[in-house]
Amino acid sequence: MRVYVVDNGGQWTHREWRVLKYLGAETKIVANDTQVSELDGLDGLVLSGGAPRVGVDPGKMGRNGEYLDSFDGPILGICAGHQFMAKHLGGDAAPAKVPEFGKSIVEVHQPDVLFEGLPNRFEVWESHNDEVTQLPRDFIALASSENCDIQAMRHRDRPLFGLQFHPEVEHTQFGADIFRNFLKLCESSK
Amino acid sequence: MMFDATAFIAEQTEAIRKSVPGKAIIACSGGVDSTAAAVLASRALGDRLLAVYIDTGLMRKGETEDVAQTLKELSVRHQIVHAADEFFAALRGIVDPEKKRSIIGRKFIELFEREAKTFGADHLVQGTIAPDWIESGGQLRDRIKTHHNVGGLPENMKLKLVEPLRDLYKDEVRAVARALGVRVSERQPFPGPGLAVRVVGEVTPDRVALVRGASAIVEEEIQAAAGRGLMPLPWQYFAVLLPVQTVGVHGDLRVYGQTVAVRAVDSIDGMTAVYSKIPHEVLDRISIRITNEVGGINRVVYDVSNKPPATVEWE
Repeated sequence: MRVYVVDNGGQWTHREWRVLKYLGAETKIVANDTQVSELDGLDGLVLSGGAPRVGVDPGKMGRNGEYLDSFDGPILGICAGHQFMAKHLGGDAAPAKVPEFGKSIVEVHQPDVLFEGLPNRFEVWESHNDEVTQLPRDFIALASSENCDIQAMRHRDRPLFGLQFHPEVEHTQFGADIFRNFLKLCESSK
Repeated sequence: MMFDATAFIAEQTEAIRKSVPGKAIIACSGGVDSTAAAVLASRALGDRLLAVYIDTGLMRKGETEDVAQTLKELSVRHQIVHAADEFFAALRGIVDPEKKRSIIGRKFIELFEREAKTFGADHLVQGTIAPDWIESGGQLRDRIKTHHNVGGLPENMKLKLVEPLRDLYKDEVRAVARALGVRVSERQPFPGPGLAVRVVGEVTPDRVALVRGASAIVEEEIQAAAGRGLMPLPWQYFAVLLPVQTVGVHGDLRVYGQTVAVRAVDSIDGMTAVYSKIPHEVLDRISIRITNEVGGINRVVYDVSNKPPATVEWE
């Protein structure tokens, strides 16, 4: 299975690559200005987090918008990737009232294939100044934390997922399980 | 699929042999990364490799002797360069952590180039690992801190760079080190710029001596406590000298002394970390010993921050 990581400049982009690699996927980190045509035939995409602030400098998000518009496999946006997904598809992202750094607890209130086999409450690691403030049309919120209402979201029909927290770091509980579930989705939508 | 150290070693030995037709030097600090890289490169190149260890004057207690011993045991051809005076001179008056890091990085390269010339090498092998280049930033990625082995490299560097470990994290490097029979495989990480980034403020021989003494106590006490089963051994544990003086009372006399922060964290790869829940009796012993045995320090505090929002090191 081939799932690539689009690099938006995050500190943990390389961790996403490593988790995917360990789970047996064929993976590669690619620049976020890579042509859509070069990603043809992939089974899934991860849009990484990043130093760019989506609300402040969307220009640094390269071709993420084109991927969201025309890539037909599953896409998992993480942090800045998640925020950009919301903004690009008609929702909104803005500076968080309470930015979160480090340990936090998420509560899953909408069961989803992404969280299959996981408890409803678990510990996650956060690192964000901005957050999704309005869901795009046809998206549903899946999880929240004390200071952030939209910790996870998905499109009703298309396999588009966004996570505010970071499943790729060692200290997030069940992080590898979330990636495993995402890979299952990629497999089944082949 | 998990990481396969044996396959990695075979692959990289071959890759190093291919990329270095002549001679190479390796920058070796004695830590897990650079020692593993030294053994790998030495397997590939034999006597065409010279390991260079620089005693910057910013090393921990007994470190230089220990590194020389390790390299000897591993039969790696090596050279110890004593350069403490040069480093202290270059750091005089500098308080900005990023300036410290880049001055030290430049100094390292200058000395490595000198040694390479003498040895006739045209390649420099480094034990750079993933967090080093990730945190050093570049293009879209923000710079968290300049790692000396990345940020100090001049654009016109004459030596060609070989970095066999650049896609690995510490846990994987440890697996490689174990497979290579490297004794220091479980050693805690120590930053390239050494104690310079554990002295907040100006780096002077006196202040480095204070933090060296305090760090040795932190290491002894935590290792002893872990040995007695009182706590697991943290990922990293050390002392930081703060640029803060506070009031104390010693034998009925007022003193105005230095403050040391004790830092200990648990992590797998250094990219996220939680502060270690050290038992109070262990903290108590550390505090009593530091304030009694290291002259000039009258206050000890414990750092209870995670990464993020903090980083493991203070600078």
